[in-house]
Amino acid sequence: MPSRRRTLLKVIILGDSGVGKTSLMNQYVNKKFSNQYKATIGADFLTKEVEFEDRLFTLQIWDTAGQERFQSLGVAFYRGADCCVLVYDVNVQKSFDNLNNWREEFLIQASPSDPENFPFIVLGNKVDVDGGNSRVVSEKKARAWCASKGNIPYFETSAKEGINVEEAFQVIAKNALNSGEEEEIYLPDTIDVGSTSQQRASGCDC
Amino acid sequence: MHESDIHDLSDDADYAVASKQGSSSMTRADDSKRSSYSDLEDAEIVYLKDNVTIHPTQYAAERISGRLKLLKQGSSLFMTWMPYTGQSSNARLSGRDKNLYTIRALSFSDIQSIRRHTPTIGWQYVIVVSSVCAGLAFPPLYFYSGGVREFLATIKQHVLIVRSSEDANLFLVNNFQDPLQKTLSSLALPGSLANRTPSSSSSPSYGNLEDKYTSADGHLSSMQQNNKQRQKSHDPARDISIQVLEKFSLVTRFARETTSQLFRESLVDGHGPNEKRRTNWASKEHQSQEMTSNDVEIVPKKVPVPSDPLEFDKLSLVWGQPRQRPLGLQEWSTFLDSEGRIVDPNALKKRIFYGGVEHNLRKKVWTFLLGYYSYDSTYAEREYAVLVKKSEYETIKNQWQSISPEQAKRFTKFKERKGLIDKDVVRTDRSLPFYEGDDNPNVRLMHDILLTYSFYNFDLGYCQGMSDLLSPILFIMKDESEAFWCFVSLLERLGPNFNRDQSGMHSQLFALSKLVELLDSPLHNYFKQNDCLNYFFCFRWILIQFKREFEYEKTLRLWEVLWTHYPSEHLHLYVCIAILKRHRAEIMGEQMDFDTLLKFINELSGQIDLDPILRDAEALCVCAGENGAASIPPGTPPSLPIQDSSIYYQDDSLL
Repeated sequence: MPSRRRTLLKVIILGDSGVGKTSLMNQYVNKKFSNQYKATIGADFLTKEVEFEDRLFTLQIWDTAGQERFQSLGVAFYRGADCCVLVYDVNVQKSFDNLNNWREEFLIQASPSDPENFPFIVLGNKVDVDGGNSRVVSEKKARAWCASKGNIPYFETSAKEGINVEEAFQVIAKNALNSGEEEEIYLPDTIDVGSTSQQRASGCDC
Repeated sequence: MHESDIHDLSDDADYAVASKQGSSSMTRADDSKRSSYSDLEDAEIVYLKDNVTIHPTQYAAERISGRLKLLKQGSSLFMTWMPYTGQSSNARLSGRDKNLYTIRALSFSDIQSIRRHTPTIGWQYVIVVSSVCAGLAFPPLYFYSGGVREFLATIKQHVLIVRSSEDANLFLVNNFQDPLQKTLSSLALPGSLANRTPSSSSSPSYGNLEDKYTSADGHLSSMQQNNKQRQKSHDPARDISIQVLEKFSLVTRFARETTSQLFRESLVDGHGPNEKRRTNWASKEHQSQEMTSNDVEIVPKKVPVPSDPLEFDKLSLVWGQPRQRPLGLQEWSTFLDSEGRIVDPNALKKRIFYGGVEHNLRKKVWTFLLGYYSYDSTYAEREYAVLVKKSEYETIKNQWQSISPEQAKRFTKFKERKGLIDKDVVRTDRSLPFYEGDDNPNVRLMHDILLTYSFYNFDLGYCQGMSDLLSPILFIMKDESEAFWCFVSLLERLGPNFNRDQSGMHSQLFALSKLVELLDSPLHNYFKQNDCLNYFFCFRWILIQFKREFEYEKTLRLWEVLWTHYPSEHLHLYVCIAILKRHRAEIMGEQMDFDTLLKFINELSGQIDLDPILRDAEALCVCAGENGAASIPPGTPPSLPIQDSSIYYQDDSLL
C-alpha cells in the first residue's frame, strides 16, 4: 500500500465489571460469543477494518478492566480516543448508576480537546437474559439519561445473541470519525524516519 | 537431540594425560623478560606463580600459559596475568589471541569473589569474578605448578577475604557483609561458570546461549559507562578495571569464534546439513538465520533487524544455570530432620529454584514456600496448626455466612463485593477439569475463600486478579482452610498489587523501567522515545504473576520458583526483562508504538517457553547485581510491606 494511508479510529469501551465489554468487542470483531471470557486484566484491543464514505479506516477497539480500582490506568489507555462506549447491564441497577462516573472519569483522564462535544455512546447490554424478565433498568430511563447528557446515542444490545451489535458499532465508527479529535491520525512514515535515526545515534556511543 | 552433557573437561582421562605432560614439560620460569610488561613498575610482588594457564578451547595445543602475580601498591592489591611470549605449543594461536586474555592489573577492589576448583583428575584452578559488572568472570586459571592455597593465603594477608558460609570453595572479596554480596555468593555462580567456559562445552545449545546473550550487550556497555562516570569522579585508579571490562568484549568474541570452531569439528560426523550454518556462527549475517535453525530458541523474524553495533560485539560470560529435574519425594525427605523440621531452608530454596517441585509434592512444599508453615516447625506442630487454623477460618467465614438476606439488602458494600466475586469465580480457569462444568464444588470453594478473605482483610477487599492467584493454590491444596491460609500468606506479599491507588503496581513498573535502563539501555531508549516508559504493557504479567501467560502447569512451576526468593525477591521483574529481551529485535525492528507493543505482549500469552526465560532471568539478576537491587525501591512487592495498618485503606466509597 504505497500511497494509501489508513486512518486509525480509537474507541474505548468502559463500564462496570461483568457488563459484557469483552463480549461486545468480540461479537463485533469476530462474530463470536463465549461464556468463558476471563476478567480483563489491564487492557487489550481488537482492530477491525471499516469502510466509510469510500475510505478505509482501522477501528481500534479498547477493552479495559471494569473494576473501579484499575481506573487510574486509564490515562495510558484512553489518550487519543475518538469515541467512548459506555456499557451497562440492563439487569444490574448499579451498573447503570455508574455510567455517570465512567463518563466523568473518562473526560478527566482522556482530556479530549472538546469535552462538551466528545462522542459517547451508551449500550444497555444483556437484553436477552431470562427473556427480559430480570431486567431492572427500563429503556425509557436509559434514554432519558442519554438525553440529559447531550443526546448520547443509545442501543439495547445482546452480545450473546448478536442483537444490535453491528448497528451500534456503525454509529460508533461514524461518530469517532466525526469527533474532531484529529491529532491521532496514523502517519507511520514520519514516525519511522525520526526514531530510526535516533536509535542509530544512541547505538553508536557504546 | 544431539545434546551432550556439559561437563568439565579437566575431569577427563585424556585431560589427565595432558596434565602430566604439561607439568613435566613446564619448568618454573623465572626469566623476568617473559613478563616484561607491567603497569605497576614500583609495586611490590607479593606472589608469583608460573605456568598458570588458560584453556580457551578443549585443545591442549591452544592453551595459553603465563605468569600470575599479586602486586602490592600502597594499600591496594592487584592481580596480573601475562601470557608467555614465543611459546611453541601455542602455534595455533596468534599473539593477538593470547593478549586477549592478559590481565594487566586487576585491583582487588574490583574483585567480587574467587572460587577454587579441585577436580578429581587434573589441575586445581580458580575463577575470579569481577564486581565491576557483578558476576562477570575471568576464564579459569589453571595452576599447573600448584600454589592455589598459597595464592589465597597471600590474598588473605592483604585484603578482606572470607569463605562463603554456603560453599567452602568460594571466597568473597571485600563487601562480604553487604547482603547483596551474600545473595550473589549464594548463587554459586562462579561454579556454574566453570562448566561454561568455551573449553569445556560441546553442547549445541551453548552457542545458542551465547547468541541469546548478545542481546545483553546493552547492559554491558551501559555498565561500562555507568562505571566510568561513577569512578571518574572519585577514584582514577579504578579505571584499570574498565580496561579489563572492555577487554571482555574481545574475550567473549573470541569465545564465540572458538565455539563455532567447536561446532564445525563436532558436527562433521552425522550432522552434515547443519554444518555450513554452524561454521558461520560468528558472522553477523547469519546470526538470525542461525537462531531460527536452532530448536532451542525459535524467534520468528518478521522484519530483518537493523544492524545494531551493540548486538554482536559483546556478550556476557554469565548466564543462568541449566534447569534441573523437579524435587521429588525421596529427595524432599532428606531436607527434613526426624521431627519434620527443614534443616537447611536455603538449600531447599536453592534446590527448588533450579528445578521446581514434583506435582505430588507441591501440597507439602508450597505451605513452606508461601510461609504458611515455618521451616523450623515440627510434624506435630503443623498437625496442631492445621486444626487451629481451620477453626480460625471457620470463624471468619461465619462472619459473612451469618449475614441474612434482609441484612444484605442494607449492606451494599457486602452485596457488591460478593457480586464481583460471583462474577469472577465463574470465569476463572473454567476450562480446567478441576473447575469445569456447572455447579462445580471447587468454584464454590473459590467463592467462599475469596469472600472470607475480603472479610479477613476488609480494607483490601476483593480485587480482580485475586481469583487468578487463588485458583492454582486451591487446585494444589484441595482443602478449603489450607488454601485460604496459603492465599493469605501469598497476599502478605502480593496484596499491594491490588492497592486502590495502584501504588504497589506503580512501584514495580517503576523498578522494571529502572532495571531495563540498567540492563538494556538501547531498549530503554527505545521505550523512552516511543512513550512506553510507563510499562503498562507489563501490567498483567506483574499483577497476577504471569498467570495468564503460561499454561497452567508452567505457572505452577514459575510460582514455586519465584516464591523461593532465591536470587532475588524481585526475580519476577527479571523474568519480565528476560521476555522483553527475547523479543527486543521484533519490538525495535518493527518500530512498535505503545498500542502495538501492548497487543504484541498480550498475544505472547501461551507462546513463552518458561525454562529458557528462567535461565535468562537468573543471569540478568546476577549481572544486574548490586545496581539492580539499588534500582528497586524498598518495600516494592513482593517484598514484605512496611508495617502500616493504613497501607491498604484509602478513602473510597465503593468496595
